[in-house]
Amino acid sequence: MSTVTASDRARLSAWRVYVRDLWERREFAWFLAMGNLKARNASTALGLFWWILNPLMLAGVYYIVFGFIFSGTREGEPAFLAWLISGIFAFTYTSTAMTSGANSILANSKLLVNIRFPRMILPVAALVEAGVGFLASLGIFYVIAWPVNGIRPGLSLVWLPLAVTLHTLFNLGLAAATARLAVPFRDINNIIPHLNRLWMYLTPIIWPMAFIEAKAQWAQNVIQANPLFPYMALYRKALMGRELDPLNIWLAIFWAVVALGVGVISFVRFEGNMVRHL
Amino acid sequence: MSDHAILVKDVGVRFRPYLDRNPTFRRSIGKREPRVAEEVIALADVSFEIEKGEAYGIIGHNGAGKSTLLRVLARTMRPNTGTVEVHGRTSTLLQLGVGFNNELSGRRNIYLGGLAHGLRLAEVEDRFDDIVEYAGLEHAIDRPLKTYSTGMFARLAFSVSMHLDPNILLLDEVLAVGDESFREKSLHSMRELLARAGTIVFVSHSLSTVEEFCDRALWLDRGQVRLVGAPSEVIDAYRAAVSSAE
Ligand SMILES: Nc1ncnc2c1ncn2[C@@H]1O[C@H](COP(=O)(O)OP(=O)(O)OP(=O)(O)O)[C@@H](O)[C@H]1O
Ligand SMILES: [Mg+2]
Repeated sequence: MSTVTASDRARLSAWRVYVRDLWERREFAWFLAMGNLKARNASTALGLFWWILNPLMLAGVYYIVFGFIFSGTREGEPAFLAWLISGIFAFTYTSTAMTSGANSILANSKLLVNIRFPRMILPVAALVEAGVGFLASLGIFYVIAWPVNGIRPGLSLVWLPLAVTLHTLFNLGLAAATARLAVPFRDINNIIPHLNRLWMYLTPIIWPMAFIEAKAQWAQNVIQANPLFPYMALYRKALMGRELDPLNIWLAIFWAVVALGVGVISFVRFEGNMVRHL
Repeated sequence: MSDHAILVKDVGVRFRPYLDRNPTFRRSIGKREPRVAEEVIALADVSFEIEKGEAYGIIGHNGAGKSTLLRVLARTMRPNTGTVEVHGRTSTLLQLGVGFNNELSGRRNIYLGGLAHGLRLAEVEDRFDDIVEYAGLEHAIDRPLKTYSTGMFARLAFSVSMHLDPNILLLDEVLAVGDESFREKSLHSMRELLARAGTIVFVSHSLSTVEEFCDRALWLDRGQVRLVGAPSEVIDAYRAAVSSAE
């Protein structure tokens, strides 16, 4: 039998109130995210087309670099371009969530100082912004993968909602954590791009699984411990019909819960002090 | 039920600027300087109460703690000591154009500003035409905000704030930028708010406006309450102190 103490119950209900307040402000989060997306390209000639063009150009650059110049690692992957862009689009979602999460509080200091609202709105809006861009890039995946690699949308697409959901929860945790850290430690903004670069090379994106399977066991273990590994496996299952080790589903759930728990709890506990640091 | 709109008791706010100077990792894990040395006491033992329907002026020199006090009243900053009770729906106008995005149109910014202040989307839609009309910006509403003049920006921001239906309005030196007609219009709306038993806290360096508009005034001096009373009385004492210091 378990007992719930009064203070535990108070804490639980405080969280319930917090989530309810957050939910009541969902329209604000949406407008903030869409406003930022629009504003970013408001003065460009192509405007919202950049949602599509950005991932396309990103894929193009990486394809030239790792498909032709440093082509040694692509060995053993028949559909290298599809492999590459599915990985890059998913990775960009995570890295954007981290960078814009880190900025979300600092860029909105005026809001924080003037208005009382659950501060999680800001990292959530940053994540929505990144997520909309990601979904747009997923939309063009087959536009590239079909003609080049002959990969067509198939039944395995039923895995996509699960992949996106778990990956999004994971990213939300990261966005909250970087947002919380960036308020007292602005240095984070300088560190994140380098961490992200390293993280990308440690994730199966520019190299196929055959590359790592040829490596020592410890190296494989390191790669498997990478939290992004299971999400990549899920996306490759959903988009390319690749085989999926069920372990990766559990790992994806595990990392989402860990990131979300650590990120959101540390963020919310720090909320009351944020204004003092702005 | 009390007829207090705001009850402030023994409020103290301290800053530790060494923590606020964008500390680096090295500074924060390295040896710390003694805390007391650099502490800034922005507010100390501040107590006062504001009645419903009252226009309450707060005056004081630069750095006296007026903006800090309004942040505490807006409950965006937790005081280190003391308690604050606020009865009513607060609308804050500590700065102009909170929640606005300069790249977007005035139209879009009305939505952003309204939602930021806690309105529902449907509520913003209902009030949209009134907000535009009140601001007198029908002709410019689809232009990006960055093309607005300072006064146009202020009109839009003030109009949004007045349409939030606040019971309590917190103003920090925001009427200074509008032109004369807009100033008159804003003062008129603020009087209407007072007539509906609303409450206004008004921070300003314009002593004549405080004298003309407020029912009571508080003089904040280096984080402490120096005097509370009729505006003319408080302003005279403040003026006397300023001229004797010169
Ligand atoms: N984030 C902060 N970190 C450190 N000190 C701060 C911070 N915010 C305010 N202060 C200090 O608190 C004191 C009060 O500042 P505040 O902005 O409340 O003054 P004010 O009365 O509004 O002045 P003004 O008339 O110039 O607007 C000042 O000494 C200021 O330096
Ligand atoms: Mg001030």
